[in-house]
Amino acid sequence: MLNIDNLYAKIDKKAILNGLSLKIKPGEVHAVMGPNGSGKSTLANILSGKQGYEISGNVSYENKNLFDLAIEERAHKGLFLAFQYPLEIPGVNTSNFLKTSLNAIRKSNGKKELDALEFLKIVKEKASKLKMDEKILNRQLNVGFSGGEKKKNEILQMSLIEPKMAILDETDSGLDIDALKIVANGVNTLRNKERSFLIITHYQRLLDYIKPDFVHVLMKGKIAKSGCMELAEELEKVGYEKL
Amino acid sequence: MREKELEKLKEYKYGFSTDIESIKAPKGLNEEVIKFISNIKNEPKWLLDWRLKAYERLKILKEPDWQKPKYPKIDYQNLYYYSAPKSFKEKPKNLDDLDPKLLETYKKLGIPLQEQKRLNNIAVDAVFDSVSVATTFKEKLTEKGIIFCSISEAIQKHPDLVKRYLGSVIPITDHYFATLNSAVFTDGSFVYIPEGVRCPMELSTYFRINASDTGQFERTLIIADKGSYVSYLEGCTAPMRDENQLHAANVELIALDDAEIKYSTVQNWYPGDKDGKGGIYNFVTKRGLCKGKNSKISWTQVETGSAITWKYPSCILKGDNSSGEFYSIAITNNHQKADTGTKMIHLGKNTKSKIISKGISAGFADNTYRGLVDISRNANNSRNYTQCDSLLIGNKCGAHTVPYIKNKNLFSNIEHEATTSKISDDQLFYCNQRGLNQEEAVSLIVNGFCKEVLQQLPMEFAVEAQKLVGISLEGSVG
Amino acid sequence: MTNQIKTDFDKVIKYLKPPKENINLRKKSLNKFINLGFPQKKEEDWKFFDLNQIISSNIKDLKFFDKELFDKKNKILIPKNALPFKLFEHNKIIIANGAVHTIDFRYEDLKKINITNTAKNQSSNTNHSLAYLNSAFTTNYLKIIIKKNYSLNKPVILYNFTNEKITSTNINQRLDIVLEDNSRLNLINLFTDYSSDNFININHEFKVGKDSILKNYKIDDKENSNIKYFYNNIDLDQNSLVENFILSSGSKFIKNEINCNLQAKYASAFVSGIINLDGAKQHEIKTNINHLAENTKSYQLIKSVLNENSKGIFQGKIFVDSIAQKTNGYQLSKALLLNENAEFDGKPELEIYADDVKCSHGSTSGSLDENSIFYLMSRGLNHKEAKKLLINGFLLDVVEKITDLEIKKLIKEIIGVSE
Repeated sequence: MLNIDNLYAKIDKKAILNGLSLKIKPGEVHAVMGPNGSGKSTLANILSGKQGYEISGNVSYENKNLFDLAIEERAHKGLFLAFQYPLEIPGVNTSNFLKTSLNAIRKSNGKKELDALEFLKIVKEKASKLKMDEKILNRQLNVGFSGGEKKKNEILQMSLIEPKMAILDETDSGLDIDALKIVANGVNTLRNKERSFLIITHYQRLLDYIKPDFVHVLMKGKIAKSGCMELAEELEKVGYEKL
Repeated sequence: MREKELEKLKEYKYGFSTDIESIKAPKGLNEEVIKFISNIKNEPKWLLDWRLKAYERLKILKEPDWQKPKYPKIDYQNLYYYSAPKSFKEKPKNLDDLDPKLLETYKKLGIPLQEQKRLNNIAVDAVFDSVSVATTFKEKLTEKGIIFCSISEAIQKHPDLVKRYLGSVIPITDHYFATLNSAVFTDGSFVYIPEGVRCPMELSTYFRINASDTGQFERTLIIADKGSYVSYLEGCTAPMRDENQLHAANVELIALDDAEIKYSTVQNWYPGDKDGKGGIYNFVTKRGLCKGKNSKISWTQVETGSAITWKYPSCILKGDNSSGEFYSIAITNNHQKADTGTKMIHLGKNTKSKIISKGISAGFADNTYRGLVDISRNANNSRNYTQCDSLLIGNKCGAHTVPYIKNKNLFSNIEHEATTSKISDDQLFYCNQRGLNQEEAVSLIVNGFCKEVLQQLPMEFAVEAQKLVGISLEGSVG
Repeated sequence: MTNQIKTDFDKVIKYLKPPKENINLRKKSLNKFINLGFPQKKEEDWKFFDLNQIISSNIKDLKFFDKELFDKKNKILIPKNALPFKLFEHNKIIIANGAVHTIDFRYEDLKKINITNTAKNQSSNTNHSLAYLNSAFTTNYLKIIIKKNYSLNKPVILYNFTNEKITSTNINQRLDIVLEDNSRLNLINLFTDYSSDNFININHEFKVGKDSILKNYKIDDKENSNIKYFYNNIDLDQNSLVENFILSSGSKFIKNEINCNLQAKYASAFVSGIINLDGAKQHEIKTNINHLAENTKSYQLIKSVLNENSKGIFQGKIFVDSIAQKTNGYQLSKALLLNENAEFDGKPELEIYADDVKCSHGSTSGSLDENSIFYLMSRGLNHKEAKKLLINGFLLDVVEKITDLEIKKLIKEIIGVSE
């Protein structure tokens, strides 16, 4: 699915990723943990196509060079990023945005675009599964949303789009326990043999609800250690310093 | 009579005058007076020619009239353009040679020149009427190659530097008062920080107008060479006189590559009495040029004095990645008027500017923020943030905000915010309930309102400025 | 210009035949205009919009007399597609080439509306040079009085139409509207220009009585090369409300000036506008909101979208008199630059003499936020779609300020925004 090979990244001449390698096969859930400043969000941003980085190394996605694809093409091909800080976009209605996004992706995959009624039915169903208030759909995109609402909105988008490869960038930060469960539940429902996840987090707590297949520790821009769930538990006990 | 004087003195504690004999140029403005000034200062010919060129230009310029505070016509022929303490015909070699009366004056002002060395780590250049009288800490600065002296001395000793930079930021053709200054300027400070040197102490100039009917036209020139840093402070006071006095200074700053200049002003010229009689017209041109890449110029001003304050310390951001800052507190009480602000001219790429202005108006006063932010076509990725807050105390005063915004660059952003409010009764009540009287409460709240700007001042000045903020508003809340 | 204007003036008087005392008013106005001339950059109010220069470089020869207009046999024809909107039911005033063509208040009780249409004009409240030009030349003085306690059943659309046959290069138009106490009017100004390189000088003066409501929407979206100056003066009495919306996009040059005088307590003024430009267009909105009594309220929201070489300008002033305590004044201007040759100039101004007030203004200008574009693209939208969605969102909240639902819908269609 996703193959990151010896990835280097710099921003303003400052090295952030220093030869990171990671392989994710279809159906696998990988967690990347790391202290602040270890390059976690940079990794997520680079994978989804954010500009401004000086990059070397290879990343292939479904056996194609990821860097040949524009931001929206990556989305069309099933790559999804749940943002750490979802943007507030004033004036843009949430429901309209979701529909535009979903239809753009459907269209590029040769599927029929949904009309307003079909869309509304689906979105309402998904929202209720996530225990989200429908009213949110008629508000401006993320404007005035609480931290939890923003994150849930990201998960709602993920469940609508049904991506092949979902990257969650610290989706758990700032969530209370109920919201955390909802987010985890959103991920778990989507889990299947084809769909892969890359879960970026600082703490172990989200991983208690989403049991990842692999856990990696990111330090100073590269994977310092890999293992399974026990590694996360160990980290929680001893901290990053000891590694 | 005496009681009345004392009463007045309480209002403005710097309002005494000193009886010192002085040498004056004949009253009036003409070529002869300019030649007199140039001659008495033993200036080279190029400078006299420069002055005369400015004077020629002045003849065709008109006094500007677009500003908010209007003032009665100034009779430029009825002013003295040069006044110097007589004992200064020969400049004193060291502080011990100073006229004791003069030392006494500075002591009263709270600037004991002699003790300065021991007390604070600040080098002081004192300007009395139009002449620089003493500069402290010379040796220590010389070690580092720093030049800090009066501009008259710099003209004699460092003519190349002066010739190269004088008028390079404020050309002699600039506008009426700047041109007037170029023609008749008498003294002021000169600073040169050599490449890579971080000036080890605050440099400070204290301006004092003493003689009557005298215009004060100082000229300050600060050059920070590549990679250097300097923080410069300016303070000013004047005696109380019933007639208005003109102060039209020019200040030019030049920052080369990676250099930084921080310029702070605490202006407390005599503001006139409660009924608006007398006081200084403070019409000053201050402009900094961020000439080199990554250079920075920061203006901080606390303007509490003067009958009329009319100045716009500005930054021309020419070098790529250069930045400009303007932090201002302008307090007007009684019949004072202020029209002040800044211009940020973005020419280079990635240039940044920040403007924080706090205007406080009480009594019958009028307070205007006027500013320009201009991002030119080539100044890619430039940013400006402006915040102007006004506070009104009473409904006989005015607070105005007049920003001009010009954005010609697609990749640049300008943000401007302004608010006007009053001190709320709830805030006062809360402070009263905690045992503060009305004046203490106002002083506390206003100081809080100004905090962002006060924080920018060097510590020694911040304390003085905070007190000034309180004193300036005394009697404004009934 | 002076000779031409004098000759043309004599012709206008000859054909228009105004009463004698009116000729004097017109002559005085003409002389004042000749003395003052067109406004120039050095005048503070025209700092960003040098009309004198704009006129001299866009209009080859200024002509102030249009014989066609007085030729009774050739009544000016309005082509069908000049009024393109399949619109809701409305009353009509059609002004063609500056002269009143049709007045049709078919949905109203005509006893409640007093309409005067005469060559005998009144002097303007203002004394700037363009008001004098207007007073000297305007062919119709149109005055509409809405009587006490009357609310119009349907909105009024004022069609401002110009055709290509016009032989002058200057049109002056004047309209006074009085809303007596407790009355109500929705007025839409729709500009349809087939003329080119004309200077159109419009002067509308409103008096809004106690408890009355005026809603005024101005739509200029049809591409044309004219230069327009639109002056509005609105006096508001106690507890009255004015809603003013401007869509400024079609003409090559427009300056829209709105003065609101909140003269008695509880009066409120809402001014919003969209400047949406391409090509080398240059549009300005200038407001003067004068709070002259206590407990008055004003709200302004102006958004500009600037493409190509266009230039958008907003000069907005909130003035608060010392007796106008408890004033609430708010102003926000936002501009989007979408091309490296576009420019935005602003002067948001506060002049405040009362202490118990809440006044603020904000102004931002810049390009679209790259992070927002990235967010939208990561959800599958291409760059163009993302940009369009963001511009749509940028403009939507201004349109949402429109309280008349039919007009809101119409304006959404015109600028192509949707929820």
